Amino acid sequence: MAILLEQLLNGLTIGSFYALIALGYSMVYGVMKLINFAHGDLFALGSYMGYTLLVWSAGAISQRFGLWGGMAAALLFSFFAVGCVGVLMERIAYRPVQKSGRLPLVVSALGASIFIENLIMAIWGPRYQAYPASVVPVHTISLGLFNITAMQLFILILSFMLMLILYYIVQKTTFGAAIRATALDREMATILGIDVGKITLFIFFLGPALGGMAGVMNGMYYRQISFVMGWNYGLKAFTATILGGIGNIPAAMLGGLLLGLIEMLGAAYISSAWKDVFTFLILIIILIFRPTGLIGEKIAEKV
Amino acid sequence: MRKPKAFTWFCLCLVLLFALIAGHEAVAQEKPIKIGLQAPITGQWAYEGEMAKNSVEVALQMIEEKGGILGGRKIEIVIADDASNPRDSALAAQRLVSQRVAAVIGTYGSSVNEPAADIYEANKMIDIGYGSTAVKLTMAKERKYFFRTCGRDDVQGEFFSEYAVGTMKARRIAIMHDNTTFALGVAEEAKRALKQYIDAGVAQLVFYDAITPGEKDFTPILTKLRETNPDIWYFTGYFPEAGLLVRQGRELGIKCPFVGGNAAINEDFVKIAGIEYAKGCLMTQEPMPTDLDTPKAKRFLELYRQKHNTVPTSPWPVYAADALFALTWAIDKAGSTDTDAMLKVLRTGMEGCEGITGSIAFTDRGDRKGIIYKMYAVTDKGEMVVYKP
Amino acid sequence: MNKRKKLNLPLLLVIVFFCVYPFFSNFYWIDVAFFFGVYALLGLSLNIVLGETGLFDLGHAAFYAIGAYITAILNTSFGIPIIWLLPVSALAAGLFAYIVTSPIIHLRGDYLCVVTIGIGEIVRLALINNPFKLTGGPNGITGIMRPSFGLFAIDTSIKFYFYVWGILAVFIICLIRLQRSRIGRAWNYLREDEIAAEMSGIDVRHFKLLAFVLGAALAGVAGNIYASKLMIVSPDTFTFLESSLLFCIVMLGGLGSIPGSVLGAGIITIFPEIFRVVANYRMLFFGGALVITMIFRPGGIWPRKREIMALQADEVNNAKDGVKILKAIDPIATTNVPASKDPSVFEKHILITDKLTMTFGGLIAVRDLDLVVGHGKITSIIGPNGAGKTTVFNVVTGIYKPVSGKVYFEGKDITGLKPHQIASMGIARTFQNIRLFPNLTCIENVMAGLHCKMKSYVVSSILRTDTQRTEEKWAFDTAEYWLAKVGLGDMGNELAKNLPYGKQKMLELARALSSMPRLLILDEPSSGLNDKETEDLMIFLENILDELDISILLIEHDMNLVMGISHWVVAMDMGMKIAEGKPSDIYNHPRVIEAYLGREE
Repeated sequence: MAILLEQLLNGLTIGSFYALIALGYSMVYGVMKLINFAHGDLFALGSYMGYTLLVWSAGAISQRFGLWGGMAAALLFSFFAVGCVGVLMERIAYRPVQKSGRLPLVVSALGASIFIENLIMAIWGPRYQAYPASVVPVHTISLGLFNITAMQLFILILSFMLMLILYYIVQKTTFGAAIRATALDREMATILGIDVGKITLFIFFLGPALGGMAGVMNGMYYRQISFVMGWNYGLKAFTATILGGIGNIPAAMLGGLLLGLIEMLGAAYISSAWKDVFTFLILIIILIFRPTGLIGEKIAEKV
Repeated sequence: MRKPKAFTWFCLCLVLLFALIAGHEAVAQEKPIKIGLQAPITGQWAYEGEMAKNSVEVALQMIEEKGGILGGRKIEIVIADDASNPRDSALAAQRLVSQRVAAVIGTYGSSVNEPAADIYEANKMIDIGYGSTAVKLTMAKERKYFFRTCGRDDVQGEFFSEYAVGTMKARRIAIMHDNTTFALGVAEEAKRALKQYIDAGVAQLVFYDAITPGEKDFTPILTKLRETNPDIWYFTGYFPEAGLLVRQGRELGIKCPFVGGNAAINEDFVKIAGIEYAKGCLMTQEPMPTDLDTPKAKRFLELYRQKHNTVPTSPWPVYAADALFALTWAIDKAGSTDTDAMLKVLRTGMEGCEGITGSIAFTDRGDRKGIIYKMYAVTDKGEMVVYKP
Repeated sequence: MNKRKKLNLPLLLVIVFFCVYPFFSNFYWIDVAFFFGVYALLGLSLNIVLGETGLFDLGHAAFYAIGAYITAILNTSFGIPIIWLLPVSALAAGLFAYIVTSPIIHLRGDYLCVVTIGIGEIVRLALINNPFKLTGGPNGITGIMRPSFGLFAIDTSIKFYFYVWGILAVFIICLIRLQRSRIGRAWNYLREDEIAAEMSGIDVRHFKLLAFVLGAALAGVAGNIYASKLMIVSPDTFTFLESSLLFCIVMLGGLGSIPGSVLGAGIITIFPEIFRVVANYRMLFFGGALVITMIFRPGGIWPRKREIMALQADEVNNAKDGVKILKAIDPIATTNVPASKDPSVFEKHILITDKLTMTFGGLIAVRDLDLVVGHGKITSIIGPNGAGKTTVFNVVTGIYKPVSGKVYFEGKDITGLKPHQIASMGIARTFQNIRLFPNLTCIENVMAGLHCKMKSYVVSSILRTDTQRTEEKWAFDTAEYWLAKVGLGDMGNELAKNLPYGKQKMLELARALSSMPRLLILDEPSSGLNDKETEDLMIFLENILDELDISILLIEHDMNLVMGISHWVVAMDMGMKIAEGKPSDIYNHPRVIEAYLGREE
């Protein structure tokens, strides 16, 4: 029983990473109908940004502001830095291509992804890097039946908070309504006076920024980062987006958490080596029976 | 009809450009001694490729310090990137063949080495592998021109099993790998060597499974491992995962000794696992440069540290450097870059050739002779010393 | 039909160059050219799926892998010669594609994308995990033999070069033929607009599967050739990155463009080789290059050019003669004598609905509708917006399955049949928001209607048999006739999207009529037309009613048109029939007025 709870906890933690990245995918897809393949690499970039801040400042920030202060600094730094990169990417790689249709956008996204991944390698080198142990809390808390590490708790709390905030913004505010309107019908939104440019700016800042934060959290949790880490997470997060129903932001969060759980349970009770096969099979089966994802997207097609 | 015509001409121009470049290469002449280095400069194993390149360059510097070969002739290293995939490997091999290098050092990864080795064989070019340990490479078919300075999966695997059961008196053995060619190879050989003990009723294989490389969360498989209550845990994969495994495993309560293969434990491993978990970990390793008293090893480390502020974090780059030593020895002794003469030396004339990892000599199948494995342990300071049980 | 091609000098030069190239180059560049050939095959194979048919496939490397591994396993375990394994690889890959894509073929764009990624990953991981010890695990399988024709073995770089380019040349010819046939057009139709294609009589599901199977088979061939050259297959060749590269090949070259795919393959293979000088930054440049290409050349570097099909205007000027020509040469329409349970009923009514009900979620769009369409007459359905009129059309034509009730056409129960089946039985329709195939020419648009009347399939299209050629000519002539009939005779080679609105409506009409339907369903045919155009339309409809054995059912808001040409009018409101009768009766019907204008207080 304790083991099951442990696995569930791990599944939720991994799922949080997926969920945060999936949010970015979903937002961008909703507004631009683009699968931003570069998103996973932005996650990796965030991880490196946090690492850079912590290591190059030689732990000075941690010393001055304490452990949690150092982490907060890394998170914020990554949030803003990657957000800016996201906006830049949209300007350079996506906006000029958008008028040409969806498929060229995909190729552009693939190109951007390869570019960013290799940029990371060019700047930071191909070696694996590690978040130093001194900047990360390492205590474990015992909660009766099972243990939870401080990092895990922190990640879960922070991720859920972020998701709640985003959910609130998207579903309950006027601005969120504008986002959803733009996602449904961009042209109509423009006609109605919605500043689509501002919405795009917001989306391409926030999505990557969240992904960047997830990258820092990931780096702090596992302490190991490399320039290839983006691809795997990106693919899983994309899968999670589809699982929930693309274009639907709350669904993406759910898809991410669910995917984390499925993966962990698959690894635990089926086999580690076949874990990913299992995950993809589940996805395919779900899509066969619910072609628009578990929760489903909100797009209607008039005949 | 304008557009298509323009494009057809455009394509023709592209094709001509391509031909010009191709033709130009075909005619290139060489004067210094060219030695090829095939390595993964880009791609998943880029860091290995980078270290290999650096190591070979340091080795070259050491050779030139000693006056070079053939009366001081210049040696040029020609690098071919194989990006760790078979297709690019074949192309890289072809490229080096076309550039008429004297011999090749390469490459990293057995499945990547295979097509390259075939091409070198077909073109009668000597290839010394430095990061390909699959038994198949030298045993599956006759390869006159293929050698390797690194060990072989079976030797390492056997060593582990014998040491674990014989010296450490472990009864319940757990073996974990990551489904890559190298790790699986060593794991399979360890399993095979264990069989005699299993049959004699002296030991049991309680766990044999693979993790997925590139992943970070191993708690499910580690939980399974914990439940099998092993006496010793052998992981044959690479240090990024090894570091995570040890940390997560210890946090989950796995207490038995952790033994890594020779790709699992290094400086980066200590960083990733954290010193509190890394200390006390063991590994099966050929003699480390830091261990060897040879002047070459000391000089190599010194120079490498000077240039790159660190030392190679895996064994393979050091083997690449040794391959250069072997080749230059052969050229020097043969008096020329004639392949047959070089071959003769490599086969029978290696007496006295000293590399960073010790004396270099080859079996009649091209494998490295005399690789002895030892069990090493990580100290409190994160250094690796010979283990005394 | 197609102009005799003048001797294409640039093409000839390129061919000559390819033939002599190996003799003045070195082995390295010959090998690069070999891989160019393999990737050209792969690019073409994905082009069928992605380019022609518009299916978002990002897992194509899976089929490549199947072909390579089948070759490897059968060759190393059983010693079967490589050459025999060429067709076996194609078959295995095609079969695999059929099995895995059948359950998911209905998925839309991005969902299909993720599923194909999933399939690619599943195959790769399965290969690594070495199930049943078949695949050799991460090491792969070594010791694959070289191909040989008896004593002549293909074992040098030059021989492999000619081998792959020879095979490629054969496939290019086959693909070009396929592209210009009924099959190729069907793929393009479904890429442009799936619903319109289905309504024109194309079995969309079947053609999507066909695209996947053929694409996979060709990839399987590439796999076989690759395996026999490298003599080893391993899972790290068949990654998602590989599938993405194939995707980029098709996009760089130009969707649906055969020379484009070959060119794209060339760029993908040669570009990284040229940039080896900047070794570490090679991929950086590559990524950047992809983005830049999409900014400046999103249509690809060599986009598909729709063929100019020559029109012979003189033959089709006289309408009456035209009808005779049609009746004489249309082999199928005249032989399709419908059976009927109650001939007398059928004589009078060509379409009958019986208590037809359709709901969407909680909304009842159509409620217990009994509709009757007279044979050889024009029946109009009128009613305020939201009355359910288009829904009725969609149910009758098979786009929706009704919750209850039945639809009878010519006495046969067509309830729940798929749209393409209904279309081939003799019903054709136009749409409220025009559904043309925008990037195809007008004549190609019209030819869509003829798809279900033609029979030639893959093999006969590739071989260009006599039957196929006659059929193609017949289809072309018929389409030409109808284009002229609607007044678009000189626009045959224009792309449909370039036409003004009014003409687009007529084009849609021509497409519907080309299949000689016995029931023509028109959804607001006059919307967007001015008075003059509406008048012309009225005259046109009355004419075809006289000339052909046809009945017309239409939805309209324009009362002039309704009153002008209808024989029978049905009024609907809130999903129900509220009145029906002759036009003059309905015009003053109080219920009808109430529905449109509201009750008088």
